[in-house]
Amino acid sequence: MKSVQNNTQAHDTIIRLSDVTKEYFLGSTKVEALKGVSFEITKGEFTAIAGPSGSGKSTILNMIGCIDNPTAGHILIGGDDVSSLPDKKLTKYRRSTISFIFQSFNLIPVLNVYENIELPLLLEKGLDEKTRRERVMRLIEEVGLADRLKNKPNELSGGQRQRVAIARALVTNPLVILADEPTANLDSATGAKILELMQELNQREGTTFLFSTHDQHIMTLARRVIAIKDGLIVGDDRKGA
Amino acid sequence: MLVMIGRGLEVAGISNAPFTIALRSLGRRKSRMTLIGLLVVLGTFLIVFGGTFATSAQIGSKQAIIGNFTGDLVLYSSKSKDLPSPFSFTTPLPPVENANGLQDWLASRNDVSKFVGIAQNYGLISVEKDGKKLDLSFLFYAVDAPRYQDTFNNLAIKTGAYFGVPGSGTEDGILLSTRQHQQYIDKYGINLQPGDKVTLLSVTGGGAVNAVPTTVRGIFDPVKYANVFDYVNYMDIGTYGKLYNFTGVAEGSLPTEMDSAFGASSDEDIFALADSAAFDTLDVDSLKVQTLTGYTMLSVKFKEGADQQAFSNALKEQGFAVKTATWDKASSFFSSIAGILQAVIVGIVLLIFLIVVFILMNTLIINILERTGEIGTYRALGADKSFVSAIFLWESLILNLAAALTGIVLSLMLIFIIGPGGISLPLIISQYLVGGGPLQMIITPGPFVFGLLLVLVVSFLATLYPTRVAVSVSPLKAMSGK
Repeated sequence: MKSVQNNTQAHDTIIRLSDVTKEYFLGSTKVEALKGVSFEITKGEFTAIAGPSGSGKSTILNMIGCIDNPTAGHILIGGDDVSSLPDKKLTKYRRSTISFIFQSFNLIPVLNVYENIELPLLLEKGLDEKTRRERVMRLIEEVGLADRLKNKPNELSGGQRQRVAIARALVTNPLVILADEPTANLDSATGAKILELMQELNQREGTTFLFSTHDQHIMTLARRVIAIKDGLIVGDDRKGA
Repeated sequence: MLVMIGRGLEVAGISNAPFTIALRSLGRRKSRMTLIGLLVVLGTFLIVFGGTFATSAQIGSKQAIIGNFTGDLVLYSSKSKDLPSPFSFTTPLPPVENANGLQDWLASRNDVSKFVGIAQNYGLISVEKDGKKLDLSFLFYAVDAPRYQDTFNNLAIKTGAYFGVPGSGTEDGILLSTRQHQQYIDKYGINLQPGDKVTLLSVTGGGAVNAVPTTVRGIFDPVKYANVFDYVNYMDIGTYGKLYNFTGVAEGSLPTEMDSAFGASSDEDIFALADSAAFDTLDVDSLKVQTLTGYTMLSVKFKEGADQQAFSNALKEQGFAVKTATWDKASSFFSSIAGILQAVIVGIVLLIFLIVVFILMNTLIINILERTGEIGTYRALGADKSFVSAIFLWESLILNLAAALTGIVLSLMLIFIIGPGGISLPLIISQYLVGGGPLQMIITPGPFVFGLLLVLVVSFLATLYPTRVAVSVSPLKAMSGK
């Protein structure tokens, strides 16, 4: 692993993107999704990446989430360059350092609420059942789904599913939680409630959130908004800055 | 039991999470898993029941041939260029030399259960009809009647008796097959019945004819392989000896030089006999006469667990001028037909099984491909490829093992329902497959072990390949359904 720890400015910078580009082909057409993106995320931030559809928001999150690789540039997570790591190490990052909340929830359909939240803990070796249960139950209480333990995803509303996804993301105590348009498939009231929940967890637990959105109302809840358009950062506003 | 497996994995230090997830997944995909399970049940049932059917047919045909025609081993003259075939009629082989000595030796062996001499030959039955003599062709096996019945009880007497009424001693004579009897009626209008006196005529290559009066003792149907064995008739060995003048020079009384010259195979060697010094000095009065049986083969049945190789070695050491042929060699044509029929049955079963396997593999592959998004989610959450593969393999193993065992139980149930009465088959198939009659289902471990392993291997491969493909796709692509 190529370490660029020395380039990380402060100890609380947990994510750093340096001149990241992403190109891919759609048939024979070359698409430049990102054209040299650089920014940093520090611990405890509640940051939105904002921009219209196709601007490159999801691509940034996917690469930070280690489910996609940049064409060029570097992505540092916790001081380690993950931009060219082999699959096995990326998997480990996904398991223990980063958590993802997906736009379409991506819950395992055959598992119930409890089992979906427990799943990331089952991927970690050495956690006994008692520890797993305590952690899962605490989070289920926090996201307000204590009465839905045994329900399967198809028996839940969209908002409830996203709460399950949030609890699943939190259960491993990750360094950062990435949320790709977490409210896109929810009505505005439910979306607002989900964002409030994320905000509350950020403030109470100090969990770092980085989420993408194109919803103006959601953007107002973020303490920092990184604006992106056509693969380039066009603004980086911090509230109170 | 499944909980115990989970605990066992934990104790063994192996992550039981894939097992646990697999169990949960199985319990909640009931319709798809039921479909896969039913296919596996059907596949296992086919392979196990079909395998048991084919094995039973194989055992049945072997038992029918060994039990009724050949025994385990056939001994025949070392001078013979052809294989013996007690199961069907061929050109008569040379008589076995010192057959009496050989029979004494066989009787002394602990590993031999039963044995009987058989002489295959043909002759004529001379009868009168409307004051005119008729010679009826007559293919026959000459046997030591009580010993033959003791060794091969393969003649069902329809009228008359088997060389005498039981308990009243053996009688000389002939037995006619039903078919032969009917042919004499149809062709010559001769209706021979038990008790009728007839004259047997020998037929030799040199044209010499011997006439021996005898009696028709019975009319029979062959118990096994009636369709291919119904032209053969029977004669007691005593009558046969008279018919063909089976007497000869006793072993050891002929000068060695002449003895070997008599065994010559070419005409030149035989004419050279005239130049032999031993021929000029031969003292005919010193030669000893012995009665020969005329047996062309001896069928031997071994006791359970007998070492046939040791028997063959001992036979060789004794110096008898005989060769040996195993039951299948001595019935090659018919065992081949049975073998071909069994292969056809196995082929049909395998063909149906392959269709089931094809459907099963497609269903398993579709099952996994439909869940590519789920696999992507597992991978995005940090599951190793091996973890995801393990989930699907556990699913496959649990489901297919349970279904395969169900298929085995169903096969067993059907076999027990069929019971000792066996399966009735169309006559022509039954005749060639097992020599006739119902096919007795015989349970052997082979088809069960083979069926179980085959189903598990097929389902394992049908799961492993698409899973490997699915986990090798990036989580992003997998989640997007690409």
